[in-house]
Amino acid sequence: MAKAYWLALPVLVFLALALLYPLGRIVALGLGEGFAPTLADPYYRSRLVWSLAYGLGSSLLCALVALPLAYAFRYRFPGRDFWLAFSVVPFVLPTLVVAMGFLSLVGPRGLLGVNLYGTPWILFWASLLYNLGLVLRPLVALLPKLSTPMQAARTLGASPLRAYLRVGIPLLAPALLSSGSLVFLFSFTSFGVPLLLGGAGWATLEVATYQALAQRLAFPEASALVLMQLGVTGAVLWLYLRLQAGWVVGLEGAEAPRPLTRGRALLLSTGVSGFFLLLYSPLLALVWRALERPGAWLSVWHNPDFTPGLLALQNTLVFAAMALLGVLPVGLLYAYAVWRGARWLDGLGLLPLMVSPVALGLGYLLVYPGLRGSIWLLIGAYILLSYPLLTRTLLPALQGLPRGVLEAARVLGAPPWRRFIRVEWPLVRPSTIAGLALALAALLGEFGATLTLQRPEWATLSLAIYERLGRPGATPFYEAVVLAVVLMVLCTVLLLGLQKSTWDR
Amino acid sequence: MLLVLWPAWAQQTTLTVLTHDSWSLDKNLVARFEQENGIRVRFLKGGDAGEMLNKAILSKGAPIADVIYGFDNTLLSRALQADILQPYRSPELPNLRPELIIDQTFRATPVDFGYVALNYDRDFFKGKPLPQRFADLTQPEFAGLLVVQNPATSSPGLAFLLATVAAFGEDGYLDFWENLRKNGVRVVSGWSEAYYTHFTRAGGDRPLVVSYSTSPAAELYYSEAKPKPTEPPTANLFLPRSSFFQVEYVGILKGTRNLRAAQRFVDWLVSKPAQESIPTQMWVYPARRDARLPEVFRFAQVPPEPARLTPQQIANNRERWIREWTQVVVQGQTAQAVKARR
Repeated sequence: MAKAYWLALPVLVFLALALLYPLGRIVALGLGEGFAPTLADPYYRSRLVWSLAYGLGSSLLCALVALPLAYAFRYRFPGRDFWLAFSVVPFVLPTLVVAMGFLSLVGPRGLLGVNLYGTPWILFWASLLYNLGLVLRPLVALLPKLSTPMQAARTLGASPLRAYLRVGIPLLAPALLSSGSLVFLFSFTSFGVPLLLGGAGWATLEVATYQALAQRLAFPEASALVLMQLGVTGAVLWLYLRLQAGWVVGLEGAEAPRPLTRGRALLLSTGVSGFFLLLYSPLLALVWRALERPGAWLSVWHNPDFTPGLLALQNTLVFAAMALLGVLPVGLLYAYAVWRGARWLDGLGLLPLMVSPVALGLGYLLVYPGLRGSIWLLIGAYILLSYPLLTRTLLPALQGLPRGVLEAARVLGAPPWRRFIRVEWPLVRPSTIAGLALALAALLGEFGATLTLQRPEWATLSLAIYERLGRPGATPFYEAVVLAVVLMVLCTVLLLGLQKSTWDR
Repeated sequence: MLLVLWPAWAQQTTLTVLTHDSWSLDKNLVARFEQENGIRVRFLKGGDAGEMLNKAILSKGAPIADVIYGFDNTLLSRALQADILQPYRSPELPNLRPELIIDQTFRATPVDFGYVALNYDRDFFKGKPLPQRFADLTQPEFAGLLVVQNPATSSPGLAFLLATVAAFGEDGYLDFWENLRKNGVRVVSGWSEAYYTHFTRAGGDRPLVVSYSTSPAAELYYSEAKPKPTEPPTANLFLPRSSFFQVEYVGILKGTRNLRAAQRFVDWLVSKPAQESIPTQMWVYPARRDARLPEVFRFAQVPPEPARLTPQQIANNRERWIREWTQVVVQGQTAQAVKARR
């Protein structure tokens, strides 16, 4: 137990400096005055209620859609790996660009002829598009391991339904709760989508925080909002940790996707592809737009008026790679420490996902005024933002490690490091890679932190897109759309590659 | 190699300039300035103009930058009140347009100016009448045609709100907005969203948008059509007092350790070469009287009757105007009820 804390110590120091101290200052500034009026304001109360509804609705929706899909992914069919990899791609796309896709499809003059702008439906659709992959991928990694215990239950005489309820659901619960809580956190605290697609009526707490803090420096209101947000996310985490504790079940062995007869594989492929094409149709609308002006595909790389696309592409790849070098040890160390017994650390490790980036950015300025554009700061922020994604994916795998094998290794006298390298690592490697892929995806499209901490020569793809969308005219517009499509293709290719290495062990 | 170069690097001053997101200047010009003065310049983007200024105010005393560029006359009073700027009388001041020098304490030097103005899609209005007066926007024949930015989150949005205050007065502006709301005005969070997703030019359904008087010129400059059209696809709709005059300033932040370099940078920013590169980089007018404008600025007309408010008026009322606007336009309260609570 004590060892676990030592393992987590570096991460805790990092968290304290990069997260707790700056955020604490913001909240402290606003405490006292004006706190109660904000809580009593019906406008802010309605923001809270809507944020809760959006978070809960999104995670339920994602779970409901991901579960049957995950069953389909147990089989081998054409397009399987592609869709699995692609499911996390939207996660990284700049919201402004996705919003453009949505509006050209279901906007006021959209291709479909239905106007969903300013309705909650477009927000839930966007949430599913963004977050489905977060639930789907861990489920797909887990489901094949379910068949052995399920078969055992059936052999012992349980009916299929009973086997599912008593064995299947408890085995799936940790992964569902874990990824569901991620979806809740992302939707509850979401900023870009409600800001751009919801119109004025569907602002979340995070949007309200941004308006209070970044625009007006209204610390009392902002800290009330930040605390409200932390209160909810904290309660959800506590509940989730309590529930999860009783649900850890060992899972042994893994299985490759099952083969199917050709006809059935094609049928399944058609169904799954059809669903995804429908879900991602706003992105297709975007690709359609990018193809409207072939000229932009040539000019975008060297345009002297804006950050050349080539430089942006290079920066994006270099920064993401540098950050991954930090994400791996931090995420690994953290997951390991939590698994080894420091359960309360688990909630703390999720903090980076539940705080307001706006509050954090201003907090940095308050406590580290000397902080100027330094590449290490940017990389540090990248690590902070993306390591929880690795930890999240890794933990269920660690908790599901077969106890027998570990104990056997110990009894046979293997020292801890050796046990880790020879026994634990090979078993958790697929989940590590899946987690790294998620972190990578988040890094490639990162926007908020990059914008605040950047220098012009560091412009990444998302910044190059944003820069072009700040000028009127056809060239900047179509170049922005082209860069968005490039970002999308880049993520798909990288994730597809990582996916392959997971399955071809 | 590195060792030989090291002393030269170490001697160089690094100047940090805090700017807003729309900052852009010719890279070659910046490089030449760096070379001639032995100064390395780093630009730090701080968000939208208001956010950027807030960051400078937060880091007062131990500034995150040496120079701040891009706060405008809607924010000037806030910058002066927060006392984050250091006075500097640039020798170039006599060359600048005198009407731009609003701050008599010389803590803010004007760099450029422009107008937030209504733009319209020319194709859409071909053969259809355009609004003639500001109040016409609330008439049924122009229902559902306009998209504006939320003044709480966007600087052109704030400028347009200020124009309505100047045009209709304290008593009338909320009524105007209530009528506009009933007439189907769409409110979005920022300029890009308004222009690129809701304006008809980019596939939206609104042929009227709050933008800048230079936007039609930029449309032509960045046009991809071949042969290049002779006229932009959009135009300014200069209804009397519907456009708002904006001046952008540069200032030296108190507490800078590079005062000399900061002063040189300010001088350079209002020097002729830098000023002449500003129009097609940031799409605003240079503050210098003798700066030549590019040919394409023919289409960036100056509005005949722009609305103006003094920085003092803005400072005293900005927060309240935004709050009242939110209550009427976003939360749907009546103008009468909001005014009754004043």
